Amino acid sequence: MPRWFSILLMGVAAVAFLALPELLGPFWLRIATGALMWAGLACSWNVIGGYAGYIDFGHSAFFGIGAYATAILMGEAFGWSFVATIPIGLAAAAGVAAIIGGPTLKLRGAYFAIATWAFAEMLLQLANVLDITGGTGGLSLPPFLDERFFYYAMLAAAAATYGLTWLIFERSRFGLKVKALRDHEPAAEAMGINTSMVKLQTFSLSAAMAALFGSLFAYWVTFINPGSVLGGDITDQMVVMVLLGGLGSFWGPALGGLGLFLVNRVFWLNWGDTTAYIAVLGIAIVAVVLFLPDGIVGLFRRSNRQGSSLLAGFFRRRRRISAP
Amino acid sequence: MTAAPASPDGEMRPELGARTRAELGPVILEIRNVEMRFGGIRAVDKVTLDIRRGEIVGLIGPNGSGKSTLFNVISGYSTATGGEVHFAGAEITSWKPHRTARRGLARTFQIPALFDNMTVLENLLAAAAQDGWRGARERAAEVMGTLRIEHVSDHRAADLSGGQQKLVEFGRVMMRPASLVLLDEVTAGVHLDIRKIILDTIAALRKTGITFVLIEHDMELVRSVCDRIVVMDAGQVITIGTFEEIARNSEVMQAYLGRRA
Amino acid sequence: MALLLQTLLNGMLIGGVIASFSIGFQLTFGVLHVIDFAVGGWVVLGGYLAYWMTSRLGVDGFLALPVAFVVLGGIGYLIGPIIYRVRNSRTARPELMALALTFGLFTLLRGGALTFWGFNTRSVPTALGGESLSLGPVTVPLLRVVVFAFAVAIATALFLMLHRTRYGLAIRATAENRHVAGYMGVDVERLSARVYGLYAGVTGMAGVLMAAIYSVNPEVGLRYTLFAFFVAVLGGLGSVTGAIVAALLFGMIEAVTATYVGSSYSHLMIFATLYLVLLLSPRGILQRGL
Repeated sequence: MPRWFSILLMGVAAVAFLALPELLGPFWLRIATGALMWAGLACSWNVIGGYAGYIDFGHSAFFGIGAYATAILMGEAFGWSFVATIPIGLAAAAGVAAIIGGPTLKLRGAYFAIATWAFAEMLLQLANVLDITGGTGGLSLPPFLDERFFYYAMLAAAAATYGLTWLIFERSRFGLKVKALRDHEPAAEAMGINTSMVKLQTFSLSAAMAALFGSLFAYWVTFINPGSVLGGDITDQMVVMVLLGGLGSFWGPALGGLGLFLVNRVFWLNWGDTTAYIAVLGIAIVAVVLFLPDGIVGLFRRSNRQGSSLLAGFFRRRRRISAP
Repeated sequence: MTAAPASPDGEMRPELGARTRAELGPVILEIRNVEMRFGGIRAVDKVTLDIRRGEIVGLIGPNGSGKSTLFNVISGYSTATGGEVHFAGAEITSWKPHRTARRGLARTFQIPALFDNMTVLENLLAAAAQDGWRGARERAAEVMGTLRIEHVSDHRAADLSGGQQKLVEFGRVMMRPASLVLLDEVTAGVHLDIRKIILDTIAALRKTGITFVLIEHDMELVRSVCDRIVVMDAGQVITIGTFEEIARNSEVMQAYLGRRA
Repeated sequence: MALLLQTLLNGMLIGGVIASFSIGFQLTFGVLHVIDFAVGGWVVLGGYLAYWMTSRLGVDGFLALPVAFVVLGGIGYLIGPIIYRVRNSRTARPELMALALTFGLFTLLRGGALTFWGFNTRSVPTALGGESLSLGPVTVPLLRVVVFAFAVAIATALFLMLHRTRYGLAIRATAENRHVAGYMGVDVERLSARVYGLYAGVTGMAGVLMAAIYSVNPEVGLRYTLFAFFVAVLGGLGSVTGAIVAALLFGMIEAVTATYVGSSYSHLMIFATLYLVLLLSPRGILQRGL
């Protein structure tokens, strides 16, 4: 689409986002805030999973690190202000990612997925037994019940996350390096790209992004426990959102994030419990893999490929024998 | 030219091939007693070789003779289990691939190694992302022009035909400020027109002082392009010389046709 | 001393149980080249099937064993081809897509179980109920001995099939090289479907027994998946013998940590060990993995 049109669209969207609190009641405003958070989380996962191609099944660990950093530092022992805790959360998450990333990113594909999953579960168990995290009982934060503040804070965080992602991964030479190592790591090395370093930096960035939303989440809901911020469900949602929207695309995480979150809320509103939603999530993943492997974004992309879905492949296979 | 016997240690002879000694530059790649062992197998067995600036060297031999492994050792994907490699004044034996690449080495791979999900233009730009980013777009346009692939600049690399993919791989090599280029069967299975483009480009680049080592199976190509030919078999260099010298060498024939009394 | 013996024995028995469904998991990886996230789901489904049969039909838990094998095996046989096709499709990143597919399957099974049966833990009564066996200083619940025997029987049966029958040869050939096996006349897709069905059935049976010992609730599915991963990675992905060794080791770690340190730390130990093994020796402690 023409450049001026995109800019116009952006402008309209910006105005809409900024004006939203005026138009919505507190209930829907909370939902909007949640949607922004998940869109941001999806973006953070897409950075390591989509752009770098490393499937991180333990990303909730970083969300939790941010949440706990804020919760602990705002607690009685330290008494910090909310804003002061954010850089600590970012640094902690980025630091942890940098430390474990070195050896972990050497693993390929499924092994990396399992390793990150194991790491996140480890953190969850750790949070369950440590005193400083409040154990299974969790931690409370000083209540601050200004919905507008949190909406704008989440909006700012999401805008910053997407803005940074755009600049780094879609418009800079670093982004080319990351995508190169995703598509063919040895060839990227042959171009002089230090893939280990690039991977580490990308992983740290994605961790910091998730931690940002973790910090905000903790302050927003005023109470956290290991299950609510370190649980596997959080990672599951992130992954599904990105797959649904389009792995490795820029808008995919936003589309998938918004879309799935709204589905989640509709479920919750109409049917109360969320267990059926989990089943729906499962069906959604299966459907995306079978019919929409490029996500929603893939529907809009006109590519030269002859249809990448399983169904298209199924029909083609009947006509020829595939070669090894 | 008199046919002096070629010795496997890479000693230069004045009457060597297409270039006289005076025209060739200093040695830029030294391979000394390099050995590459995988368990009990010696894929590269005590290879010693010198490559001079501006040469086009052909590396031939039957499948499994260690040619690609030698490339991997030179470019850093495998670390030699014995011996040393020196390139551009540094000992690069244990260097990782990206470090060797930054020193001025470029290579292609036997199996196409394109960035599938990126466009042709992005593939070329990615090659310049580390070194040579300034002016990369202009250079990419030039490269695409030379290789006649401007019309697919926006296409996904995975969607191209085999021949076009080879061109893009070659184009990526052209994008890099390299002094030594290793090409692994770069013209295998491509259309004659495309092959001509590639060979013309190699010749042009050589004039600017870039050195090439080519792994090839096509003897016609080797004869027409290479100054010197290194013949490998079972991990060892069995002889080095001009095409005519090699063709007359019975050892080479045995290597290719199997052991015969 | 008696405590140590008892702990080790407990560990061995637990290990045997874990081995019973890890073996199938390894086989699936070897043949379909897919890490089946849904393994815990099959276990739980088997458990719930047993619960349904004992509570609605009033039969003994052991009767659920053959039923679980048939029902879950059948479902697995139907799903197998889909997984196979995704894994071998021409789309971008088939390995990732297959992983996502089994993950989706697992989520579906978990969500379904939660919806139908809720969060409550259900128990499965069997004839052996609470009876124990005394062997000198140690006591051993009879049920666990039976489960251990079951695991041994399964492992033996699978081993014999794999190494002594022609069909087993076909399976091993396919795991080795899918394409060559195809040239030799093996219907790789059908075989993959059968292997997956067999695996689902056996795992379902293990689920019945797990439910008899530990009771069943939807959340343990994730734990079992993790255990299978742990055993698979420790023993080397794809290696059946590795899985057996690793399962026993797992049982020991779990039992020793629970007894001497505290049960809340046992999971932490498991995950930490898994993580360390992946970093230091991703092909497993016996280096037999792929």
